[in-house]
Amino acid sequence: MDNNDLKVMTFLAYKNLTKSKVTFMVIVAVMAMSFLSITFFASIIDGLGYEFEEGMIRGQTGHLMIEPQEDELYIYDSAKLVKNIRRIPEVVGVARRQDASAVARHENIEIGNPVLFIEPENEKHVSDYWNSVLVGEYLSQRDTEELLIGANLVKSYAEEGDTQKRFDVDVGDRITLSFSNGFVKEYKIKGIYKTGSRFVDDKIIINFDQYQAIFNSTDDVASNILIALPERGMEEYYTREIIDLGVSEQINQWQTKMGAVNQFVGSLQITNQITGTIGLLTAFATIYIIIFINVTNKRKQIGILKAVGIKKQIILGSYVLQSFAYGITGVIIGNVVMQLLLLLLSIHPLNMPIGPVIPILTTERLMVTSATLILASIIAGFFPSKKAADENILDAIFGG
Amino acid sequence: MGRAIIKTEHLERVYINGAVKTYALRDISIEIKEGEFVAIMGKSGSGKSTLLHQLGLLDKPTKGNIIIDDHDVINISEKERTRFRLDELGYVFQSYNLIPELTAIENVYITPMARNFKKEEYEKMAEDILTAVGLNDRMYHYPSELSGGQQQRVSIARALVNKPKILFADEPTANLDSASSEDVINLFRKFNQEIGQTIVMVTHEIEEGEKADRIIWVKDGLLDMDKQQNI
Repeated sequence: MDNNDLKVMTFLAYKNLTKSKVTFMVIVAVMAMSFLSITFFASIIDGLGYEFEEGMIRGQTGHLMIEPQEDELYIYDSAKLVKNIRRIPEVVGVARRQDASAVARHENIEIGNPVLFIEPENEKHVSDYWNSVLVGEYLSQRDTEELLIGANLVKSYAEEGDTQKRFDVDVGDRITLSFSNGFVKEYKIKGIYKTGSRFVDDKIIINFDQYQAIFNSTDDVASNILIALPERGMEEYYTREIIDLGVSEQINQWQTKMGAVNQFVGSLQITNQITGTIGLLTAFATIYIIIFINVTNKRKQIGILKAVGIKKQIILGSYVLQSFAYGITGVIIGNVVMQLLLLLLSIHPLNMPIGPVIPILTTERLMVTSATLILASIIAGFFPSKKAADENILDAIFGG
Repeated sequence: MGRAIIKTEHLERVYINGAVKTYALRDISIEIKEGEFVAIMGKSGSGKSTLLHQLGLLDKPTKGNIIIDDHDVINISEKERTRFRLDELGYVFQSYNLIPELTAIENVYITPMARNFKKEEYEKMAEDILTAVGLNDRMYHYPSELSGGQQQRVSIARALVNKPKILFADEPTANLDSASSEDVINLFRKFNQEIGQTIVMVTHEIEEGEKADRIIWVKDGLLDMDKQQNI
């Protein structure tokens, strides 16, 4: 095939496309809708999975979580360790935590609760508690008599029909905490927080320094240390950097701390792959049928072109080129609409029980979907036009 | 008249449908000379169009040979037959068979374009031939915007634009009114007389056949009569 053949091929394809505008628009619309139907649902699922993970990272685990050695209850010399980790370039935040439990009491209601001891300022860099206070204020470093309470423990934030035991409290009310060692203290509610994650919003949060006072501990200890990194995917590198500091405690990446969430997100991803594959096959079949019918209707023209001496490869190429044009235009339009939807949903996220979810269209999914749809259109253009170009001229023209 | 530009030797075309064999053409041996205007006539189903399709390389005979312009056109590749149709032959079909997505001028210049002429050359060739068939004011119209007679004239222009050695026409007036039919036959006569165009036309109209130099009658797939006329 020489340059002139390509010229004739392009000319025929261009004329067919521009003269049959309705056909072009219908096929492109089907392509664009197929693209959207595959990518939109998948992006919501991906967004949901991401949000689950992010909720865990920003509430429970950080990107990296240092935990005591297997036979220890605490991380010792934790302040020094935090200081050393902060020296690693580009680490976004490092914060110590202590976990305990207490029986909380307000008026006649008593609830056994997890209590989280945090360093308020450091915590701001590793979690979203500071940004999730619905009413009242976040803790300051000096707050020793105040606490934050999760919205899941507060009656006024219960969903309709929810019968779980909750406190009928508001900011400024007092809650008495009884710890396992017999220590009892009354705290004032400084703020009510809600991150949107069920795993996080059922805690009572107190200043880290209170742990030593409550448990009469003089050691510089922590239950865990959370580390926030610039972004996901850098966990391996920073784990090595921390090991190089001589840290002998367990350094866990967020993925290993997900537990049930990991299984749930894994199930979502499998569901997404299955529905994505089915969606792709359906789109492939739909596009194939539409283009097949379109090209089959041009059988007579293919015969005429052959009769007047136009090479088979030129005819075939012109139909494949047309199909490619359908495919690429449909994918581009589908992608533009998808990007607009993503933009819209990033401004107005979907409200889900786990919190606001923004759909995510991964580059891989974008590439695979686009390539599959374009390939489907090319194949759909190739086979019927090859069949028509291969058949007897008279059969093609007169319908033999 | 010049040398033989078409020569067939014992041409046979058989259609096989299961166990049934239908002989569309049997033992046709004819010669057509360069510059001749030949009409192939016969009743419906006689095999006249089948003969034209074999001569025009639109179909392949079951047996026999066809020599066009001293080339054996049966024992050559499909690629060569395509090239031969483009360079040496022209077609006019009964139902015009124009490409609906192309304007009149585009329908005409698509073949010189495929022959690698430059844009200005093939446009000029198409304009000249469309003017010659009286369509200088309809060049940029689509087939759907033209009458049947005009479409057939575009079809004739497409067939002649490459100055083919032979023009084949398969019942070119069958879908036209009598005035348009006369125009088409007069055009054929004009090109035959003025530039010596060899024309082979299938028709079932006696009056049209009588305007040809020669009538070949086909009956039941056999050569029935070959009559030279004095025009």
